[in-house]
Amino acid sequence: MAIDNTGICRSCQVEYCGAALVICRIFLQAGQERVNNAVVPARPLPLIFPCTMENPMSFARTASAVVTALLLCVACERSGGNGEAPVVYRHAIDGIPASLDPAHAANIYSATLVVNLYDTLFRYRYLSRPYELTPNLAATMPDVSDDGLVWTIELRENVRFADDPAFPRGRGRAVTAGDVVYSLGRHFDPATRSQGAWLWRGKIVGLEEWIEAGANPDRRIAGLHAVDNQTLVIELTAPFPQLAHTLAMALSAVVPREAVEYYGREFGVRPVGSGPFILERFDESRAVLERNPDFDRGALDLAAEGLDPQRHAELGLEPLNGRTYPFIDRLEVHFITEPTSRWTSFVAGEVDNVMVPPEKSGQLLASRDPLRFRPDIERQYHTLAEPEAGFVFYGFNMANEAIGHHPDEDIDRANRALRCAMREGFDWQERNHTFYHGLGQVFPGVIPPFLDAFDPSLDASSTDHDPQRAQRRLQAHDWSPETLPRLTYGLEASVHQRQMFEQFRARMQTIGIPNERLRHRAFASFGDFSRAITGGELDLFLIGWTMAWPDAQYALQMFYGPNAAPGANSFNYSNPEFDRLFERAARLEAGEERAALYRQLNEMVINDCVHIGSLSRTRLHLWHRHVHMLPDREMLGGHFLRFVGIGAAP
Amino acid sequence: MTSRFELLGFVTRKLAASLPLLLGVTLISFTLTVHFGPDPAHAMLGKNPTAADLAALQRELGQDRPFWMRYADYLHRLATLDLGHTETSGEKVRDLLARTMPISALLLAPGFILGTALALFLAMVAAWHRGGRLDRLITGVSVVGMSLSFVIIIIALQAVFGVWLGWFPVRGWAVDGPASYLAHVTIPTLAFVFASIGYNTRFFRAMLVNAMNAGHVRTARAYGAGPARIMFRHVLRGCLLPIMTRIVYSVPALAISGSLLMESHFSIPGIGRVTYQAILSGDQPVIMAVVGLSAVLFAVAVTVADLLCRLADPRIRLA
Repeated sequence: MAIDNTGICRSCQVEYCGAALVICRIFLQAGQERVNNAVVPARPLPLIFPCTMENPMSFARTASAVVTALLLCVACERSGGNGEAPVVYRHAIDGIPASLDPAHAANIYSATLVVNLYDTLFRYRYLSRPYELTPNLAATMPDVSDDGLVWTIELRENVRFADDPAFPRGRGRAVTAGDVVYSLGRHFDPATRSQGAWLWRGKIVGLEEWIEAGANPDRRIAGLHAVDNQTLVIELTAPFPQLAHTLAMALSAVVPREAVEYYGREFGVRPVGSGPFILERFDESRAVLERNPDFDRGALDLAAEGLDPQRHAELGLEPLNGRTYPFIDRLEVHFITEPTSRWTSFVAGEVDNVMVPPEKSGQLLASRDPLRFRPDIERQYHTLAEPEAGFVFYGFNMANEAIGHHPDEDIDRANRALRCAMREGFDWQERNHTFYHGLGQVFPGVIPPFLDAFDPSLDASSTDHDPQRAQRRLQAHDWSPETLPRLTYGLEASVHQRQMFEQFRARMQTIGIPNERLRHRAFASFGDFSRAITGGELDLFLIGWTMAWPDAQYALQMFYGPNAAPGANSFNYSNPEFDRLFERAARLEAGEERAALYRQLNEMVINDCVHIGSLSRTRLHLWHRHVHMLPDREMLGGHFLRFVGIGAAP
Repeated sequence: MTSRFELLGFVTRKLAASLPLLLGVTLISFTLTVHFGPDPAHAMLGKNPTAADLAALQRELGQDRPFWMRYADYLHRLATLDLGHTETSGEKVRDLLARTMPISALLLAPGFILGTALALFLAMVAAWHRGGRLDRLITGVSVVGMSLSFVIIIIALQAVFGVWLGWFPVRGWAVDGPASYLAHVTIPTLAFVFASIGYNTRFFRAMLVNAMNAGHVRTARAYGAGPARIMFRHVLRGCLLPIMTRIVYSVPALAISGSLLMESHFSIPGIGRVTYQAILSGDQPVIMAVVGLSAVLFAVAVTVADLLCRLADPRIRLA
């Protein structure tokens, strides 16, 4: 038996803590010469001591070390010590989930855990790009009627909720279609404080009447009901092709009514689901999840998940093919908000992956265009560079007649000219290099490059920095420092955001907009910032938009008139023609016609100069070579975690 | 017996006198939080809400209730220690505090005790050798310590002990026994000691030097008393009041907010990290509970400091 510098006893696989090792080291270093013949140096910090009695001369000192270590390690032993070390994957994320209630899982941090604790009807294939839906809790993809209004979804059999005191005798029961109905319906109970109700409101037959009548889960919703335990029927008021995407979101995860009622408000910290893992521990530092023994989805079929032998060759996934997942016994998700701590924790081997802080990119990349990691980094770690499923951009408040829509056509045109001039005055490339380390991808409009509807041939001049053209525009519409409106630029209080404002203002100055015409207002929290946007207190603001499904409709809804603030249309953009086309596109299945409409809508946003943008950031991921996975969190959220394999480096 | 009653009366009077302070602090903080604090409703809304959704959520959060009713409700909750649920996770605030405060205490106590003791020792050495090389060295190192950013100290210690030597965890709080506690607390403790020792040493030295100029200390020296006897029996006793007051007064701030930076950098689930998250998300039950608790702790600290002063110097009347 020997304990090495990783803290693992090589015989019993017990993991010991660092403090015990330090004390052992002190003992052993004092007797280094006497025990040297029994010590095998280990890199980088040799700490291996013999637990046998091969060397009688060193017995006393070795025994002292062992006794000390054991005394200390009685309390710090972190495994069962039964000879079977659990397979643990330690995943680092850059934020803290506020709640584990699926109804609150609107951000990536909560979603990462929720989709591993609960089941969603659908999910995205692990490796397919572009993203493709596949059944998860559902047995097959939905059967949709020809008019697109009736969706029939069959559920898998023999799926069970995890055991929990919320159930009679503490034994989890089978998941039924009725649970899906309940889980979607509870979004409309005000007490749930749902963040996902907007996904289905107005789209399901009889839902509004049911809500009006008190959202009683014991009453039937006309268009959302279980035919039997395995069959769910959803009747829509109008075709909604994106419905399947909404049913892949963490917000739609299936919860048992017993647990919601048993735990009440505390359901957010006491999850009871049917996902691949069960929560063992959760605080502001980490969540520890154990494998759910009742979870059985058969074997991993890499071909069905979209394996591309060439593209995924480096990931070492093939040995996992045909094996029953999840492959790990324990999933630890560490919440590390400080970028430096996240990086040092990864380098020290305390976590298995890292989303690289952008400021570290210079040390890791051989080139930015094309994006390539340094060869030694690629040898040492698995690497992934992928664009985020979202983008950042500036939006104007079109409800402010000083810069937005105006009933007088001449003024309306002049306002548009001012907005366009500001867009031309802004320099996205400079922004990219100053704040995103040159890793962002600048594109025109609001359809990011990873979507099918993205048009690579679209004129990109709306993202060009052209101060002369901007000045000509302003002059042509008689804008002068005296006539320019005073604009309020909103930002969340941080040095970073303030620097961005100063950069923006400096660019505007070069086209003739004096500093005093552009003032900033800082807000302590996102809630306050959001309230100010909703209240029309800001004329210009930088926001980020994360795509929840891989369809341009999700981005274009930001400009749909009926979604005006407090809805997604924070800009209060109003264009009847846009709304008409959007409604038409929203009913279409994926295809050329819909893509063409999306592109037309995108061009309308660009031509009306509603926004200044956009830029998609690039995420750099590293993970240790003994971990076999594709940690794409963008659309998959945390779904990929069930497929993580741990083993020897390929 | 009389002394005991006197003491009890003093404590009762002090705590009673704290009531207006508590009411004032809670009223001001409640007003600020409600009217100028972060808005939880907008932070909690989904991506595409309607005005009706917003209104319903505001009703659910009680934002439509009159201010004084909400304040009275808050005071009642504070008095009965029924602090409600957090707006974000739904966890009981009382449970949240019970879970996080001991972690913060365990995190900060070693650094606080070690840092204070070490600073006092260095201050005594510097004061004894006032004007000498040792004094200049200690004072100089103290200034360097004060000049170093806490964040830099943390990053350097993480790099040396966590990454390079690999002796201790870089971050986290996987504590399930004394050994893992020692492992996780060591780097934060070192960071705390490094960051606080400069300020404390300078302050303590100034107090000690002042006390060393007193006549009774000179008399003791004239009698041939040794350095230890002079320092501990005459000098330290002479300046015990300001030192004790400083130490006691720093406890409430330390307990609530002092751990914020450390808990963020080391990803430790203590009260500082929770409070920071609550401020960002506008979680008013948590913010108000922490503010109320801070006020209570401060009132207790004032009482304890006065009591200790009385015990240290009987000339002080318990009025």
